[in-house]
Amino acid sequence: MIEIKNLSKTYADGTQALKDVSFTVEDGQFLVVIGLSGSGKSTLLRCINRLVEPTEGQIIWNGTDIAAAEIADLRKIRRSFGMIFQHFNLVKRSTVLTNVMAGRLGYVSTAKSIFHRFPKGDRDMAAAAIERLGLTDQTNKLARELSGGQQQRVGIARALMQEPQVILADEPVASLDPVLAHTILGYLEQLNQEDGMTVICSLHYLDLIQRYASHVIGLRDGRIVWQGDSAAIQTMTDKEFKDIYGEEAERVSAGRSATEADRG
Amino acid sequence: MAERTLQSRIEVKTKFSPPVAGVASFVLPGLGQMIVGQVYRGILLLLAFGSGLGIYVWRIAEIGRREVGFGAKFGKAIDLEPMFFILSLVVLVIVWLLIAYDAYRCVQQGKRGGSGVFLSILAMFFVLGWQISQIDVVRMVREAPDALPPLSKVLWPWKAAIEYDIEKELGDARILATEEGDIPVPNVPLADEPYLIATPTQGELSTQDPDTGELIPGTILTLVGGNFRPNIETAIWWKDPNGNEFQIRQEGQYVSAVTDDQGAFRIEVIMPYRLTPPSAVGPLYHDVFALQTREIGRPKASEALRLTVERMIETIFMGMMATFFGIILSIPVSFLAARNIMGGSRITMGIYFLTRTIMNIIRSIEPLIWALIAVVWVGLGPFAGIVALTIHSIAALTKLYSEAIEGIDPGPIEAVRATGANTLQTIMYGVIPQMISPFISFSIYRWDINVRMSTIIGLVGGGGIGFLLVQYIRLLDYRSAGIAVWFIAVTVAILDYVSAEIRARLI
Repeated sequence: MIEIKNLSKTYADGTQALKDVSFTVEDGQFLVVIGLSGSGKSTLLRCINRLVEPTEGQIIWNGTDIAAAEIADLRKIRRSFGMIFQHFNLVKRSTVLTNVMAGRLGYVSTAKSIFHRFPKGDRDMAAAAIERLGLTDQTNKLARELSGGQQQRVGIARALMQEPQVILADEPVASLDPVLAHTILGYLEQLNQEDGMTVICSLHYLDLIQRYASHVIGLRDGRIVWQGDSAAIQTMTDKEFKDIYGEEAERVSAGRSATEADRG
Repeated sequence: MAERTLQSRIEVKTKFSPPVAGVASFVLPGLGQMIVGQVYRGILLLLAFGSGLGIYVWRIAEIGRREVGFGAKFGKAIDLEPMFFILSLVVLVIVWLLIAYDAYRCVQQGKRGGSGVFLSILAMFFVLGWQISQIDVVRMVREAPDALPPLSKVLWPWKAAIEYDIEKELGDARILATEEGDIPVPNVPLADEPYLIATPTQGELSTQDPDTGELIPGTILTLVGGNFRPNIETAIWWKDPNGNEFQIRQEGQYVSAVTDDQGAFRIEVIMPYRLTPPSAVGPLYHDVFALQTREIGRPKASEALRLTVERMIETIFMGMMATFFGIILSIPVSFLAARNIMGGSRITMGIYFLTRTIMNIIRSIEPLIWALIAVVWVGLGPFAGIVALTIHSIAALTKLYSEAIEGIDPGPIEAVRATGANTLQTIMYGVIPQMISPFISFSIYRWDINVRMSTIIGLVGGGGIGFLLVQYIRLLDYRSAGIAVWFIAVTVAILDYVSAEIRARLI
């Protein structure tokens, strides 16, 4: 269970990305965070594993406050949070295998990892993760030689290497076309339902949200403006959607169908 | 551009009639265009015509600098180079008239007018440039035959790449060239050694008439040789009392005899001109000798070839060392010149701009100039070349490296940190893989450039093969120079290929 209490983040330039955000994520939830660009979704996700330092508030996870954790403990905490990114964030000039092995860095000693020496168990685990994501043929290719969908699968394999309990997914399908979006979210759903991982994911499209989310949080200007479970999402009204997305809601909606028509 | 084309279709509304604009541009080129609103075009035409006219007047003043008054200068110029000065005057007048016509058309057609006037300006500068840069195609064609022998030697120099051991056959006779002293006893034929008998054994050297400077021939010597190898050209040499040896020339030709079937010959030579130092006292004995040379044994690499290979190796290593030092020194500097690293505060941005500026200045100075400075600094030789190339490499690599650092994607670094990696692991897995191939690629590219540069840096004393090449060229030894040129060309071509291959694999 992750309990977020009164979380605020103010950047050095004065931008208030999060304003007193509090919510709870039960284990096994598929929580989708929605909101406009700049509403604080990315900051929220990055505060959870402290890629971004929160200004105020607590993040209680299994009884420890991540926000107050020491650096040494933070490494151990981070490896329980697998993270995948909108732009995949792979090292493009490294091979798929090296990128996947990087997910294991939180477990191995610094000296050995610098010389790319990983225990046999870790190497087998990488092979299994790569196979699970259907990338075995690509193992020794450079990441940049892969298509977008394949790169995101490498990103998931890397997260799997952390043996995570939580997956943080920052707009994982925003750079992919709709068919691939379903493939990638399908993998996340599998991790959520079969492996019992908690998923916290930011998404833009209402149909994807309705299809995959078990719970939803709506952010607007750094505040939570909407909260609901699966049933509430299915019956979410235009007005509620508009509350989250503001005046631009209709345009976003129209833009979405137009974009999908284009891509289709 | 599209916007301008549109504008040019819009009618120019002006109170001036076409002839007024034409006359204005006739009085002052470009004025007509300016007053009807085409200010930019008018200024451009005025500047073009003005500079053309200025250059024309300058060339007249230059060629007639000893004459007084413009008329006289102009006359001299027309006299000496009628083609150029008449032709360019015609072109200038055409340009002038076209500018006036252009102004007329600007108003009449309400548009910008054609580009013909600019073509005529281009022609004007072409004619002026031809004369200023002293282009002389006639001479180039006429004297092409003179360039052929050295060119053919440079293109196919391999005759100078091999040499043989020389076997000599020698017969020597002593000659007294002064009044006093014992007259040498004439040689007698020897049984089985080459011999040379000179008659007489005393005579006078050729001298120069102190008034007319004409050569007064000396005593004629009859030389009889024997026991030489038969049917071979035999050169006649002279050796003065100081031990200087030279082959005797008569009427511009080297004197030589050809032996008969028995290895004997007979020839008459005039005692050569040789300046006797005024301080010389006592009898002065000269030697005349007949010399046959023969190449024996296996061909072996000539000195030129050996030196070329040695210098070439030196050159490659010069380039390598300079690149090596350049890489080591530019890596720390390149971080100071990377905006994403130095963007933190005003002080670091100040360092960033300072580093960039210094590096840009160093880079804009050619390695050859740096070599001139380095030669003064550390003396002639390869080290000076290395210093010069290192300085230039630091500046060039700093630019390339810092751009590679600026191009680092922060995404993967964030992703590696998110896995729980520590700082060192993040650098190894997130930063280094992104930088390594551009770094290697740029370094190999620089090595390629440095070897190419070190082949010519010797021209100013920086060591390497260029040093050898420039010496051969100055000695007019075109064959040896050709060997050096070939080695440079082949090395550079190989290096070019190898470096391109490696870089293509890295990127």
